[in-house]
Amino acid sequence: MTEQVELAKLVELRNVTKAYGPLTERPHVVLEHINLIVRQHEFISIVGPSGCGKSTMLRIMMGLTNPEDGEVYYHGQKIGRVCEAMSMVFQTFALFPWLNVQENVEIGLEGKQFSKEEKKKRVTDMVKVIGLEGYEEAYPRELSGGMKQRVGIARALVSEPEILLMDEPFSALDPLTSTHLREEVLHLWENPDLPPEAVVMVTHNVEEAVYMSDRIIVLTTRPGTIAREVKIDLPRPRDPRSPEIYRIVDEITGLIA
Amino acid sequence: MTIPRAQVGTVIGLLEILRDFHGKVDLAKVADELRLELDDILPAVDAAKLLKLIQVNAGDLILTSEGTTLLSKGISGRKRELYNAVSNLGEIKGILNFIRKEHGSTVTKEDLLSFIRQEMPDVNAEQTFSWIVEWGRYALLLRYDDNTQKIRLTKSPAKAS
Repeated sequence: MTEQVELAKLVELRNVTKAYGPLTERPHVVLEHINLIVRQHEFISIVGPSGCGKSTMLRIMMGLTNPEDGEVYYHGQKIGRVCEAMSMVFQTFALFPWLNVQENVEIGLEGKQFSKEEKKKRVTDMVKVIGLEGYEEAYPRELSGGMKQRVGIARALVSEPEILLMDEPFSALDPLTSTHLREEVLHLWENPDLPPEAVVMVTHNVEEAVYMSDRIIVLTTRPGTIAREVKIDLPRPRDPRSPEIYRIVDEITGLIA
Repeated sequence: MTIPRAQVGTVIGLLEILRDFHGKVDLAKVADELRLELDDILPAVDAAKLLKLIQVNAGDLILTSEGTTLLSKGISGRKRELYNAVSNLGEIKGILNFIRKEHGSTVTKEDLLSFIRQEMPDVNAEQTFSWIVEWGRYALLLRYDDNTQKIRLTKSPAKAS
C-alpha cells in the first residue's frame, strides 16, 4: 500500500457556531456546526446564497470575531485573537483615500518588525509583482476599480501571509476587468516563490469558484451549514467554457438555488 | 482619434476572453457571455483595435499576433509590449514630442491641457488627459503626481525592442 502524504493543516474550524444573542435564548444563528480544514497548497472557495454567513466564516478564521461555540486552530494551536499570518482582501478595496498607492501597500506592514529600508524594498517588490509599477504616487481616486483591487491585493500580500483570505474580491468590478484580475491572481497563485500557502475566497459567483478553486465549500442559509464539499481536480489553466466546468457549476448552483 | 479610451484592465480582459475562444469570436457572443450591452464593450474593442491587439472583421473579433504575444508575457513583459504600442500611436507621439521639445521631460497638467485643447479641439481635454495618464502609467511611459500636477516622462526601457 502506498502511503499518501498528508498536506499540513494550516487552519481548522471545529464545530464552529456563530450567533448573535445568547445561545440560551433564541439567537439569530449565522453559522452552525462548521467543520473545515484548510491545508497547504489549497485554493478554497466558499459559495452560498447571500446571508449564509460566508463572510463571517472568513472573519472567524482570521480571528476578527469569535464564535459562540467551537474552536479555531492555527497549526494545531488554539488562537483567540487576530491571526498575524493571514491577511484579507475586501470587496470594496478598503483603501485609505489620503494615501497614495505606495503608502496604501505599506499599511500591510504596519506593526511588522522590519527596518525602514526593508519595508521600502518589500513594498517596491510587491508593487512590481502585482503590476502597479508606474502607479506608486497615484491616489485611489485616480484609479479604476481593477487597479484599486490590485492595491488591496498588494497590501494583503506584502506581509507574506501564510493564508490569503479574499471576500468577494472581484464582485465590485466590471466583467472584463474581473476576467483579467482573476487571471492575474491565478498567475500569482501558481508561482511557488510567492506567498501564500493557501487561499480562502468567498464568492457568490459559482463559475468563478469552479474556475479558480481546488475545493468548494457550499453553504446553505439560515443557519449557515456546510451542504457539500466539492473537490475540483481539473488541471490548470482551465477552460471556463469546458463541459466539465459547466457540469460542476450546474451541480453547485442546484444546491444553492 | 489615436488615444485608447478604455481602462487597461478591460482591454487585457477582452484579449483573455478572445484567447479562451481560440482567438476568434463574435462580438455579440462576448457581450452575451459577460451579460453586458454592446455599448459597454465597445470602448475596450476600439482600444484593442487601435493598439493592433485585435482585428475586427464583420462582427468577429480576431486576436492578432501582437495580441497573442502580449498575452504570452508576464506583467513586466506586457508593460514593455504596451510601451511600444502606446508610444507609436499618432496622437501620443505628438504629445510626447510636444513635451520633449517644449518642456524637456516634465510638463504641468495645465500646459498639457492647453496643448490638447489646441491640437484636439473636438475632444474633452480633461478626459483625454486622464486616458493619457491611464495608459502612460501602465506602460511606464510616464509618471504623474496629482499633488504637484506634473507629468514626468520616463526614460525608455532599455530592454524594449
